[in-house]
Amino acid sequence: MTGLIELTLWTAIFASAQTTLIAGFPKESYLAYVLWTAFVTRITTNWMYESRMIEEIDKGSINGLLVRPMSFFEYYLSQLLGYKFITSSLSFLIPLVAVSYFGLPTVYSKLPLALLLIAYYLVFVHTLSFFIATLAFQLNRVYSLTIAKNLALWIFTGELFPLDILPEPYRSILIQLPFANAVFIPVGYLTGRVPLEMVCHGFATTTYGLIVMGALSALTWKWGLSKYSGHGA
Amino acid sequence: MAIVIETQNLARTFKSYEKPEGLWQSIRGFWDRKYTEKVALAETTLQIESGQIIGLVGANGAGKTTLLKLLSGLIHPTGGTASVLGHKPWERNPAFLKRMSILLGQKNQLWWDLSPADSFALLAEIYDLDRESAKKRVTELAEVLDCQHVLQTQLRRLSLGERMKMEIIGALLHRPDVLFLDEPTIGLDIVAQTSIRKFLSEYVREQGPTVILTSHYMDDIAKLADRLLLISKGSIVYDGTVQGFVNKTESMQKVSFSLSEPLASEVVLSPEVKLAVSTQQFEFEIASKNLPSVLSRVTALAGIHDLKIDEAHFEDIIHRFLEKESRVLSPGRSDKS
Repeated sequence: MTGLIELTLWTAIFASAQTTLIAGFPKESYLAYVLWTAFVTRITTNWMYESRMIEEIDKGSINGLLVRPMSFFEYYLSQLLGYKFITSSLSFLIPLVAVSYFGLPTVYSKLPLALLLIAYYLVFVHTLSFFIATLAFQLNRVYSLTIAKNLALWIFTGELFPLDILPEPYRSILIQLPFANAVFIPVGYLTGRVPLEMVCHGFATTTYGLIVMGALSALTWKWGLSKYSGHGA
Repeated sequence: MAIVIETQNLARTFKSYEKPEGLWQSIRGFWDRKYTEKVALAETTLQIESGQIIGLVGANGAGKTTLLKLLSGLIHPTGGTASVLGHKPWERNPAFLKRMSILLGQKNQLWWDLSPADSFALLAEIYDLDRESAKKRVTELAEVLDCQHVLQTQLRRLSLGERMKMEIIGALLHRPDVLFLDEPTIGLDIVAQTSIRKFLSEYVREQGPTVILTSHYMDDIAKLADRLLLISKGSIVYDGTVQGFVNKTESMQKVSFSLSEPLASEVVLSPEVKLAVSTQQFEFEIASKNLPSVLSRVTALAGIHDLKIDEAHFEDIIHRFLEKESRVLSPGRSDKS
């Protein structure tokens, strides 16, 4: 539905602006961006698993996992990757058919690298979710952080609009953050508005994001467990 | 015998935020917080030998579950230290977690939406067990527990008793050396209780794991435990055998009888026992030393029949102890006994 609204919106913007290019790109480029974004966003959002992790800690059902020789982080990461693999494989056909039917710009040879970046970003975003979930050891209503984070990511990832239409310095700042690897960089690369160098840069920003979030969440996990009261049992 | 569980001044205090009433007070709580501290487990030092079955008994909130959570690594202590199978439990070393198991009777540990068979397959992966051997073990345990027919049914669709049997299979699948059982028979009907108690008794006799068992059903403790730990207000107040505890406490006798006609007026048998007016059936407990004098007054009553005298059971003795403890814990409670 959001994709459909955005398609209509960009068509209306181009019609009223009486120009064939916005920020150097034609209408078709924006329409292709919107179509692929609708698909890619479904892959890179993980609020559902974030909520489950929070609930496990909130309600104490994490006890059943803590007493087993397994990692809570990996347990949920494997569930997330499995779920995304199955749902994405099935829904992949929708943007593929749509861009082919409307003849929108898509460089199919770039698809494997774009998907690789998306998969890598998924590990990062799971780490971010894990960090938020570990706060539930000490705080109530951590769900509100999930909502705030999701709203921020709506803009930071490029889901709402391509980040390259933003004025400087916002454009450069947002592209330096790992969140741009959720939508803007892989979809931009696929639709021809982002060069290969930026994809390489995307792998680098995801890596530093992973290191920072990994270190932070390791600390909050350790801290949370030391304060945990094992309630609910 | 080797010592498998050892604690040295192990303690846990819970700190909780006192949430005041109203919006303004809640906002104020951001910078002006008041905390209350509760000692869930006072400094505890104990040693448990390999193959022992320990019955851990205490009133609600006495600290039983806290001790189990500390020893299984679920929570960290606020003081002292512990070693279980040579590991600090709260470090959650996989080598330790693979050798122990905890069964929380009030909490599902298997996956709610999966069938037990699928859950056991997943557990076999988690514990690095050979798939075929794990399957064989599930079949064996399910046969003994008489629940093969529900292995393929979603957990959420099983009865409480069946679910508990599945949880037991899940807890024993990897042949743990140390087993923590927290209320394994809670909420079960008498048939399921007996069946699980019988199974556990045979299992520990044959396999010899070290077991710490908490239960509100004293039959569980009396029939299974080699050693009794009584815990009160976070401290262990008795450590010895079940029989030793019974011998240590004042010997009590249970007296019951009926009268052919209701009592016309109150009868005082002893300072503790009074027979109420208009009553026909009576049952009370009396210290053995007072029995002769009370019996002589009872037998003098007109129309007495069905007189019975029984030794008070372990269950009664423990209940009396717990009742006394809970009165100490909640001094405001009125005593109607």
